[in-house]
Amino acid sequence: MEEFVRRTGGHDWIPYWAAARVRELRFQRCTGCHRWRHPPGPMCPHCGSMAGEWALASGRARLLSWVIVHPPVLPAWKDRVPVPVVLVECDEGVRTMGNLIGASPDALRMDMPMRIDFTPSPDGDLVPQWRPA
Amino acid sequence: MSLKDKAAIVGIGQLPFAKDIGRSEEVTALEASRLALEDAGLAPADIDGMMKWSIQNTSENAIARSLGVPNLRFFGEVGYGGGGGCGVVGHAAAGIAAGMARCVLVYRSRNRGSGGRPWAGTSREREVSAADMNETALFSPYGFVRPVDQVAMFARRFLHERGYTTRHLGWIATAMRRHASNNPIAMMRQPITVDDHQNSRFISEPLRLLDCCLETDGAAAVIVTSAEMARDLKQKPAYIMAASQGMGPRNWTMNNFFKDPLLESPGAYAARDLWRMAGVEPKDVPVAQLYDAFTPLVLASLEEYGFCKPGEAGFFVEDHGLEVGGRLPTNTSGGSLSEAYVHGINLIIEATRQIRGTSLNQVPGAKLSLATSGNMVPTGALLLRGD
Repeated sequence: MEEFVRRTGGHDWIPYWAAARVRELRFQRCTGCHRWRHPPGPMCPHCGSMAGEWALASGRARLLSWVIVHPPVLPAWKDRVPVPVVLVECDEGVRTMGNLIGASPDALRMDMPMRIDFTPSPDGDLVPQWRPA
Repeated sequence: MSLKDKAAIVGIGQLPFAKDIGRSEEVTALEASRLALEDAGLAPADIDGMMKWSIQNTSENAIARSLGVPNLRFFGEVGYGGGGGCGVVGHAAAGIAAGMARCVLVYRSRNRGSGGRPWAGTSREREVSAADMNETALFSPYGFVRPVDQVAMFARRFLHERGYTTRHLGWIATAMRRHASNNPIAMMRQPITVDDHQNSRFISEPLRLLDCCLETDGAAAVIVTSAEMARDLKQKPAYIMAASQGMGPRNWTMNNFFKDPLLESPGAYAARDLWRMAGVEPKDVPVAQLYDAFTPLVLASLEEYGFCKPGEAGFFVEDHGLEVGGRLPTNTSGGSLSEAYVHGINLIIEATRQIRGTSLNQVPGAKLSLATSGNMVPTGALLLRGD
């Protein structure tokens, strides 16, 4: 994709994007105290354990907020705007983002249930996205 | 031990702001530094400390060697872009209170009007931005990379939970513009109405063009000395009555969507420490410079710095509430929205003018003057006082 700079968040995020490529939503979970955490990091802020796993999430969430991105945007997005982006809180208690798919932003209501899906980002990689449940 | 009243802002210098200033950030930093020294009645040989924003491209040694500073015994920087400004001055005051310096130069020069956008990877700040300043850029697969997007995401939820409307945001934009209309170096001086705000185009819905700060080339500098030294200088000292910083839990810049409570910003933490050190209350403060990269930040600061209760900020800003003569004259030189966006050093300079009595939108008899830094990132605040 022309001039698309895909930033991934670095080393800690590799399993998050890798899971999405096989249509799975996974988050880091501490194997010491079993708490979920996202964004990922090397240490559990609750118990200090550095041992963790990437556990499969339910894919169920509620809508916390959304924006609709208008120009000016990066070149890769010129033909895609206006594009809606949603912030969700998953049943596991962690929050994440994605584009809205399968609905118009007019259909969005605060705290409505959402569910996971996967569609490609401009570089062709499948990434987590969200649609009304 | 506290830094309370141990240091003062004694010199301010600011170049006319521009979309394209036509010379390097090093040159403009030097020009602004010379203006600030002149304003204070000091010479480069008096400077023994420097503090800067970590995002500043020009280093202290480059400025020191060109100015002819014989020795820097104290220097350092504060991160997080627009969150840093009050912390930069606060650290200068801390260094002075600790006896590590007597006279500290603080400078910020930034060619952001002509120099490209960090989020688009077109500025020299790009590397810092990607690694440190703009962590949510990892949401690039979704086209969610601009600071305005991150603030818009916060804003929609914030308006919803508090019962505010985008017209309240419009009142903030119009107040800043009203103040700028009296300021010959402000970049945007044409008065606007709330309807103008409502009719401006969306940038990141629910935020519009007139919710956003300006793209500016600018440079400014501030001289901080010990309170003792300040008494013998040219200008009326603006004593640093309190300085604070705050980050809050599990911080993730720009905007932290991953902590609880979702709508609490680092500003809430900086505010608590500021009032504790100062020993005064928000109601004692007659004028404020609240960081305004985007209008929703001002609504959040009014709540978090205690000028109104959560849910009351909309009423507070309505009907010219933030203009001189209103409930709390705010951003009296036009702020980031209408004067210039230079990571808030202009707000610190205007807070100083209010203490001196030299603002173009002076609040008569202002004895206390508040300045805050970007409250959606790790932040800081300063409370200045006169004699």
